[in-house]
Amino acid sequence: MSTQDKVTINKLPTGVPGLDEIVGGGLPEFSFNIIAGAPGSGKTTLAHQIVFANASPERPALYFTVLGESAIKMLRYQQQYTFFDPAKLPGSIRFINLSQIVLEKDLGAVLEEITKEVEKASPAVVVVDSFRTMVRKPQSDMDLQSFIQRLALFLASWQATTFLIGEYAEEELRDNPIFTVADGLFWLRQTTERNSIVRKLQIVKLRGQDSVPGLHTFRITDAGVQAFSRTFGLTARKRNPPSDRRLSFGVPELDKMLDGGVREGDSVLVAGSSGTGKSVLATQFIAEGIRQGESGIIAVFEERPEAYAERATNLGLDLETPQKDGKLTILYLRPLDLSVDETMQSILDAVQKIGAKRLVIDSLAGFEMALSPGFRADFRESLYRMIFALTGIGVTILSTVEVDESFTEFPFSTYSISFLCDDILRLRYVSIDGQLRKIMVVIKMRGGNHAKDIREYEITNKGVVILGKRLTDYQGLISGVPVHSDRSDPRREPPL
Amino acid sequence: MTPPETRDLARCLLAYEVVASKTSEPVESATLRVYEKLRQCLGVFSGVDGFRSLAFRALTQAKSEAPGLWAVQVAEDGSLEGLGEFQPQPVESEPQLGCDKDQASEDGVILIARLLGLLFVFLGEALTLSLLRNAWPSATFDNRCSENGRES
Repeated sequence: MSTQDKVTINKLPTGVPGLDEIVGGGLPEFSFNIIAGAPGSGKTTLAHQIVFANASPERPALYFTVLGESAIKMLRYQQQYTFFDPAKLPGSIRFINLSQIVLEKDLGAVLEEITKEVEKASPAVVVVDSFRTMVRKPQSDMDLQSFIQRLALFLASWQATTFLIGEYAEEELRDNPIFTVADGLFWLRQTTERNSIVRKLQIVKLRGQDSVPGLHTFRITDAGVQAFSRTFGLTARKRNPPSDRRLSFGVPELDKMLDGGVREGDSVLVAGSSGTGKSVLATQFIAEGIRQGESGIIAVFEERPEAYAERATNLGLDLETPQKDGKLTILYLRPLDLSVDETMQSILDAVQKIGAKRLVIDSLAGFEMALSPGFRADFRESLYRMIFALTGIGVTILSTVEVDESFTEFPFSTYSISFLCDDILRLRYVSIDGQLRKIMVVIKMRGGNHAKDIREYEITNKGVVILGKRLTDYQGLISGVPVHSDRSDPRREPPL
Repeated sequence: MTPPETRDLARCLLAYEVVASKTSEPVESATLRVYEKLRQCLGVFSGVDGFRSLAFRALTQAKSEAPGLWAVQVAEDGSLEGLGEFQPQPVESEPQLGCDKDQASEDGVILIARLLGLLFVFLGEALTLSLLRNAWPSATFDNRCSENGRES
């Protein structure tokens, strides 16, 4: 069958930021769906958002409430969300209470009542909340499966997109006839991770379209549900071909060490202990980009944007003006209990908003600390997804990471994330001639012929300044306690 | 006491029903019609039980302000019983002087105002007015009520 012979399934907006991407572009029109999860997982809020996004006077939404939360109380709470538009009630959204029928009659009567209302209103969307309380009733004249079948058939014939809301436990996923009939199954979870609550949703099933698999985190705020796709909404974006363009650090000698600069679209890791100038170098990288017309984002976790910009001013770098001009955004991301995907979504939104070409994450340790404990285990995996997504669209990322200074080892990162990085720049202290001095070395540069030199540098009022030529007079520099070459020969006496 | 604006809105609704009926029905009929419209409109989404509990609360509150309502009851289905019927006063009460038309009208206002007051508390003004507009489509609820209680 050719593409043009296939029926087109229209997609309805979910009204939930991030969810359209997860379900593969929108909700399939006329589909019969179940929103399942434990009490408090956000099922009703999700259904309300879908309803408010799709109901119109011509194609209203019918919201059947059964046994459970009082409809008046439900409306009292739901109207606190910003998506709730009271003007849509009752013209476009009609709440219908079925509790009396459920209590006094059987499922046949329930179906009859739903049928009557649907025929009267010809709705675009139908919600039954909570469907589970209805089917728990022991005395039913109609077999449950038959009831579901008839309801699904009827609502599809009336061109309604339907959502049944129900409290289900994970173990009920198997062998439940309702799930077999459903075209879509949305599972919401809420788990406690140490002292934090983590919300996740999964599209267990969605017929006819390609949803993003896996567990996606979501948050419920004043604006309702917001979902964070594991692919950060970048699945549809084509990856840019690898670029040969080099981006300058604004430190000429460092650019030379990097064979002309960092390759565009690379992920760079700047590793070093406290005070070695990681943030200074990161700021110079961003400032140089702005000087060359490339917008940038700095995601900071350990100090406030004002302090960050002020410190840049002391280095002669102006971060205030580009912020006012919309060429730079300094994101301060420190609310605890963030999900990693949520944090990354904030970064992505900022990148896309100003068309940033350079991104600094300062630092990975601060980033991890801002996350809910439950997400820290997924940190590396999520970081990988974000780096892959962003570098794929041509953004060059510089991350800083603090490493414990050791005089026996030369670690690059405590996160074992070096494999995520195309380039690694290592900064460290060395003890030379009674002074604590600083050296840098390019450890790795994927696809580039970088210098092997170990260079000494200083942090001045102009930022990082690389001094002289490579250090040739010392051995064991990377150990932090080098020995002068003249003294390394035990046969030679050190000068007095 | 219900706020004056809520009472004004209740008066408006009663005035609409008086005008709509175009008859010289007893004032209790207007109160009943307003009440019935609210019952239909709210009962659809709150259910019979939901509406009945709300109406019972409103009536209890209204009785403290309008002793003439003392014999009124909310039935199982949420409908109002006993409104406008002559009921002998309890022995300990003062003789009821409010059986005249004005007093009966004011009692109706109080009852409806109490019900509206609860809706404002639970659903908020915007949603309540939206529901009222649906029940009285030809009415204008500009800041709760137009001045003369008729569509302008």
